Amino acid sequence: MNHVGHSGQGIHARDILALVNPIKAISPECTVAEVAELFLGDEYAKLLSLPVVENGRPIGAISRYRFMDMYLKQFARELYGKRPIRSFINPRPLLVELDRPLAEAALHVTENMQFPLTEDFIVTRHGKYLGVGFVMDLLKAMELRMRASADELSHAYTQLKSSQMALVQSEKMASLGQMVAGVAHEINTPLGYVQNNVAMGHELFTQVREMMAEYEALVEELMSVDASEEQIAIRMDRIAEMRAGFDASEMLVEMQALMADSLYGIDQISELVLNLKNFSRMDAAATEAVSLNDCIDSALNIGRNVLKNKVEVVRELGELPKLTCSPSQLNQVFLNLFTNAAQAMEKSGVLRIRSWSDGDSVYVNVSDNGKGIAPDILTRIFDPFFTTKPVGEGTGLGLAISHQIIQKHGGEITVESVLGSGTSFHIRLPLTVAASPARQQAQYA
Amino acid sequence: MTKPTILLVDDEERILRSLRMLFFSNYTVRMTTDPHEAVRILRDEKVHVIISDQRMPVMLGAELLRLAREASPATMRILLTGYSDMDASIASVNEGEVFRYLLKPWVGDEVKQVVADAVAIAEASFAVQSHAVKTPSAARQKPRVLIMDHEETTAKVVHEILGGRCEIVWAADAQHAMEELAKQDVSVVVSDLMLGDTNVGYILKTIKQLNPQTQCIVVTSFNDTSRLIELINQAQISRYLPKPLSRNMLARYLESMLERFHVLSDQPVLQNRQKVAEISDPQEKRQSGNFLGLLGRLRSRIAN
Repeated sequence: MNHVGHSGQGIHARDILALVNPIKAISPECTVAEVAELFLGDEYAKLLSLPVVENGRPIGAISRYRFMDMYLKQFARELYGKRPIRSFINPRPLLVELDRPLAEAALHVTENMQFPLTEDFIVTRHGKYLGVGFVMDLLKAMELRMRASADELSHAYTQLKSSQMALVQSEKMASLGQMVAGVAHEINTPLGYVQNNVAMGHELFTQVREMMAEYEALVEELMSVDASEEQIAIRMDRIAEMRAGFDASEMLVEMQALMADSLYGIDQISELVLNLKNFSRMDAAATEAVSLNDCIDSALNIGRNVLKNKVEVVRELGELPKLTCSPSQLNQVFLNLFTNAAQAMEKSGVLRIRSWSDGDSVYVNVSDNGKGIAPDILTRIFDPFFTTKPVGEGTGLGLAISHQIIQKHGGEITVESVLGSGTSFHIRLPLTVAASPARQQAQYA
Repeated sequence: MTKPTILLVDDEERILRSLRMLFFSNYTVRMTTDPHEAVRILRDEKVHVIISDQRMPVMLGAELLRLAREASPATMRILLTGYSDMDASIASVNEGEVFRYLLKPWVGDEVKQVVADAVAIAEASFAVQSHAVKTPSAARQKPRVLIMDHEETTAKVVHEILGGRCEIVWAADAQHAMEELAKQDVSVVVSDLMLGDTNVGYILKTIKQLNPQTQCIVVTSFNDTSRLIELINQAQISRYLPKPLSRNMLARYLESMLERFHVLSDQPVLQNRQKVAEISDPQEKRQSGNFLGLLGRLRSRIAN
C-alpha cells in the first residue's frame, strides 16, 4: 500500500512540478512603488501576478491587472507608492499543492479563477511557497492528458470490440461444440447398426451363396442321367451338414429385418445431414426470404437431442409471410431459446411455440413451464456474460447474442417469467427493415 | 455346455438387434433398453459381459456400469458409445471401471475379440469368486508408490496422505522414473501425463504390461478425450483425477488402489481383469518396446 501510495504521489508531483516556474516571491512589506518596478522588469515580464510570501507561506497575490486599475487613479503613485503592498493583495490567491493530481488541480483552478484571467497560480509544497504556474500551461497539460486518454479510450474500445467479437465467436463455438456432441451421437448410433448390419449381410451372402451352390449342384445331379445314387447321397449329406450349422432361411428372415432397420437408419442420417445443412447455411451471411416457421422447425430438429425424452413440444405455428432475414442467425436464436427452455425443466415439461403475423410484423412466442426466472435475475438475462450455469457450461452470451441478432433485424425480444411456473420469450420482427441486416451482420458471419 | 451370457443395453433397439446378430451364435444374448432392468438381470443371472451405451435418457452408461460393479463384480464392463465427452470418459474410469471403451460405429471383428477376451476373464473371475478362499497373505512388503510428476506438489500431497505407511518415490523426469521402476515393482503409480516435455502415455502402458497388478492413478490438467480413451483401453488406468488436485479424492483413490493392489497380488487370476489392449500408436509401441528392453537390462544389472 505504502509503495503504491508513494509512487502515485510521485507521479502527481511530477505533473505539477513540470509546470512550476521558480519565481522569486515578494514580501508583503514591499512598497507599491517597488512592486511597480518589478512588474516592469524582465524577471516578472511574463507574470500576470506576483506571489506574496511571508515566512515561506504564500499569503496572497498582486495582479498586474489590479495594479493597473489602481495606478489609473490620479496621483495613485503619490498616494500609494510608499505603502506596503500587503493592503492591496488578493488574500485568497489560487493555490495548488505540489502532489495534487493534475486533473484535480485543473478543476480547482478553473473553478476559482477570475475572468478575465488576471492571476497565475501559486504552487506550494506542504503549504510552503514553491513557485508560480501559468494557468494556460496547466490547461494545456490537461488537454494533452485528455487527448492521451481519449486515444487510450479509443484503443481500449477497439480492443473491447474485437474481444467481444472473439467472445461471440467462442459462444458460437461453445454451442457448436454442444451441437457437435449431440449430432455426433445422433449420427454414430444409426451408423453403428447400419454398418454392422451391412457387414453381417455381406458375410451372410457368402454363406448363402455357398449353400445355394450345393443346392444347385444337387438339382443338376438329380436331373442328370449320369449322376450316381451314391454321388447324390454324398451331396445330400453335405447339405444336411451345412443346414445343421446354419439355418439359412431363419438367418435370411433376421437379416431382412436388419436391412429394414438399416434403411431406417440411413433415412435418419440423411435427415440429420439435411437439417444440419439447412441450419447452418454457412454461405448465408446473405439474407433470404424465408418463413420463420421453417427456422423454428430447423432449430427443433437440431435441438432434438436435447429436447427428446424430456420436452413435449407444442407447435402452434400460424401462416406467416416470408421475412427477409439471415435464417442461420435466427436459427441460432431459436435453438438458444429452445435449449434454455429444456434446461429450465427439472425432469420434463412443455415447450409451446406460437407464431403469427399482423401484416407489419411477424411474432414468435416461446414459452416453457420450467422453473422460471427470479425477478432480480430477469432484468439481467440479456446482459453479456450473465449466466446462472456453472462455470464452463455457459458463456453467458447466448441470450445477449440472441438479443443482438433480433435488434439487428430491427425487431425486439422481451421476456416474462413467473418463478416456479415458467418463462415466455416474445419476439417481434418487422417485415420491412430500414437497413439490410446482412450488411450489419457481416462481422458476425 | 451352456453358452456364456452377454447383456446388451442401449436405448436404440436397432443397436440391440444388430449386436445380437453379431453374437447370438456364440453367446446367450440378453438385451434391454432399460438400465434398471439391466441391473435386475445382473443380480438374478450369471452375466459374463455387459455392453452399455453411454447416453441413455434414464441413466448414463457410466452410472449403469457402477451399479453393475455392485450387482455383479465378476461381470466385465464395456462401454459402447456414439460420442464421448470428457465427463463421460472420466466417469467411465472412476465409477464404471470399464474394461474397454468402444466407439460407434464399431468394427465387428474387434468387438467380437474384445468380448471373447472379456468372457474368458469373467469366467476365471467367477471361478475365483465361487472358491472365495482368502489366503491370508504372508507378511506384506511395504507398498511402494511412485509419483511421476514434474511438479513437487503431487509428491507432497501423497506424502501427507500416506506418511510412513508406504515407500514414496518421486520422479520428476522419465529417466528417473525408469530407474525407480527398474529397482523394484511398484504398487501404485500416481502420474501426470506430461513429465516436462515427455508424454508418459507409453510409460503407463508399459508398466501395465510389466506388472498387471500395479494400479495407475492419472492426475493431470490435460484434457483430451481421445487420449483418455486410449489410456483406458491400452493402459487400464484405474483412476483419473483432474488438477488442481482434490486432496480428499486423491486420499480415497490411493486407499482403494492400495487395497486393490493387495487383492490382485493375492489373486493373480484377477489381474487379467485389467488386461490391456495392444498399443495402437506405432511410435508409442516402439517407445514401449525400448523401455521394456532398457528396464530388463537395468533390472538384471541391479540383480547382479
